[in-house]
Amino acid sequence: MTSENAVTSDEAGPAGGPVGGSAPGGDAPAGQASIKPDGEWLRVHPASPFIRGWVALAAICFFFGRDIFERMLQGRPLMDEMYSGRVPFLIAGGGLVLVLSVLGFILTWYFTRYQVAEGYVRVNTGFLFKQQRQARLDRVQAIDIVQPLLARIFGLAELKFEVADAGESAVRLAYLRIDDARQLRATILARAAGLEPNPERPEEALPEAPEYPVLSVPPSRLVGSLLLSEQSFFVVIGGVASVVLSAITDNRGFYFYLIPAALGLAAAYWGSFNKGYNFTAAISPDGIRLRYGLLDTQAQTLPPGRIQALKVTQPPLWRIFGWYRMQVNVAGYGGPGSNGEGASRTTILPVGVLADVMRMLSLVLPDPGTPDPARVFTAGLTGLAPARGTSPGGTPAAGASSGGTPAAGASSGEPDGGFVTSPRRVRLLAPLGWRRNGFTATDTALLIRSGRLWRELVVVPHQRTQSMALHQGPLARRFRVADLVLHTTSGPVSPRLIQSGLDEARALFDAQAARAREARKRQTSEQWLAQVAPEPVAAALAAATTDSADEVPSTGSTVVQPADTPSAETPSAETPPDQSDLRENPDHQQAPDHRPKHQEGPQHG
Amino acid sequence: MPTEAIDPPGISWLRVSPKYVTVRLVEWAFGNLIAVGLLSLPLVFTLVGWWDWVPRWLAITVPAFMLVLAVWRLVLIPRQVRAIGYAERDDDLLIRGGIFFQRTLVVPYGRMQYVDIGVGPVERGLGLCTLKLHTASAGTNAEIPGLPADEGARLREQLSARGAARLAGL
Repeated sequence: MTSENAVTSDEAGPAGGPVGGSAPGGDAPAGQASIKPDGEWLRVHPASPFIRGWVALAAICFFFGRDIFERMLQGRPLMDEMYSGRVPFLIAGGGLVLVLSVLGFILTWYFTRYQVAEGYVRVNTGFLFKQQRQARLDRVQAIDIVQPLLARIFGLAELKFEVADAGESAVRLAYLRIDDARQLRATILARAAGLEPNPERPEEALPEAPEYPVLSVPPSRLVGSLLLSEQSFFVVIGGVASVVLSAITDNRGFYFYLIPAALGLAAAYWGSFNKGYNFTAAISPDGIRLRYGLLDTQAQTLPPGRIQALKVTQPPLWRIFGWYRMQVNVAGYGGPGSNGEGASRTTILPVGVLADVMRMLSLVLPDPGTPDPARVFTAGLTGLAPARGTSPGGTPAAGASSGGTPAAGASSGEPDGGFVTSPRRVRLLAPLGWRRNGFTATDTALLIRSGRLWRELVVVPHQRTQSMALHQGPLARRFRVADLVLHTTSGPVSPRLIQSGLDEARALFDAQAARAREARKRQTSEQWLAQVAPEPVAAALAAATTDSADEVPSTGSTVVQPADTPSAETPSAETPPDQSDLRENPDHQQAPDHRPKHQEGPQHG
Repeated sequence: MPTEAIDPPGISWLRVSPKYVTVRLVEWAFGNLIAVGLLSLPLVFTLVGWWDWVPRWLAITVPAFMLVLAVWRLVLIPRQVRAIGYAERDDDLLIRGGIFFQRTLVVPYGRMQYVDIGVGPVERGLGLCTLKLHTASAGTNAEIPGLPADEGARLREQLSARGAARLAGL
């Protein structure tokens, strides 16, 4: 998807030649980027190299300035006598370094140009080693707008365009004016969704898609979640241990070990606080919008259907307040260990109550594929199979039937939300977890829950399953159980069904392969506005979870349009029946009226 | 030990070439004999009398333990090779392997990003190859070793054709 190839001959003119350089890019100053004819080459903001390279500039100034400054303070001559003869050379040398780096910045800026046209975003960089990169718009996995503190002061922002290539971002444009960045994001998302520019007035910019806030995390809850997090547990343990050790050994040295540890922990807490502060989630037709950050702010947009897998976790101490955390795998974001920002980018809810979790789930999984999503997901989060007797996984027949027919496990009336847990014989192997470890399948997703103390629920949409494997070790064979591993793109979520009964696991293995196959056939287009209606179903599920199910039909609006387009008005044949029912009732004005209902969540949290 | 297969019943598995045992034997020899040899050096040195600081029991037990482990692995190799199997179904490819730690993998054709064929020096001498499938997930790790070269080529073409026919997005 991401091609890094040498500049071809016809591209070399505008990129490198002095004549071409002034022709396409020079006509339009970067400032007027809000009106962009299709295919125009644009540059990033002129100040951006200085903001990116401010560390280098500051280092140079510091290196040359500090000595002189100190001497001025002490009243000594500005230079040592032994150097005084060479002062002009030194100044000239320093100036030369400065001028060269500034020149480098300017050249880098001059030769960095981008273009959004014909379904591609293209970026040309470099003046000695040229690089031309193009990424297909409909392959977009996520778009982030990042504002580091310094860029924020100057009203600039960086735009990151992610494709499914777990490495670096496919396209990074640093820095644009914040309005231009938003505009570019809207353009890219609209093009990726399949909206074509208006043929009569191609220069008219596409308006940004309207968005509706869904939830926000109050700072008090964020602080509370940090204090009750896993790392706090280890802080307390470490502190107690060092106090006890120093008391026993009568050695004060242990306190000194605490200093670097405390500094590191303070940095970690600060990092989490800085990243999680003011977290807001919103829904818009072009995807889920997440905003967060205290000093450095970040705005992520995840188009519909880009989430490969998701997990809801609850550390033991969070159970006091009923808090949960949600993390996702997105193909472009990569693993959490790749860089520091990965962990915050893959967190779609740093801390939230059950209602928040349900609301986010309704955004991520617009069609839960079960008539009673609240009960099924609650069972996945907190449920526990009965200790003895009517465990659904107890008999192979029950397990095979619920695994064999799609969504039979999620049908109402079954205890424990239809979860098939480990058989009773596993209780020696997993004395705590055997009533908890289990799975259920809805029409659209597989739910895997685990963990008695560290509760975890993993949701994998059927159409996102890459491959699967059954694992069984010697001990598991004695107990006639097996693990089922679902492979997904790299990220914090690694779905694994632990110690399922052999017959159930085998049936699930076959049934899941069939379900994934069916789901893939239904999923046709990368251009989501043509087939996905996130709003009505999201509203329906949110209404269902807040016990106001009678309002469901009235909230049913079609996709809220960023512009009047033909593509979204034609319902495609692939739309699931429940969504097309909602489409019969296009109530454009209703949706905003019902939005405030979604904002109730944070208050009762 | 009676073993019950974890894979779904009713699948006729294709086995890899028995000649793959030779490849595994060569790999085994390289790894284990060198390790045992290196770990035996202290024993040799103490017997010759160059070293006297190594306890005799330690100098004997460590290489002996490694030797037992190596022999155990050697005995398992033919059974491990026999356990490797693959089956082409209409919409996905099944791969199984392992005796103690069994694994059965299903890779849908539509999810395959590309197919690799690798040939090592020993495999080349025996006319074998290793086929590797890649999906968008790094965890897939789908590998069929020890395929005869023409069967590997046939499988690669077959998988590519089926993958193109059923290609899905991410």
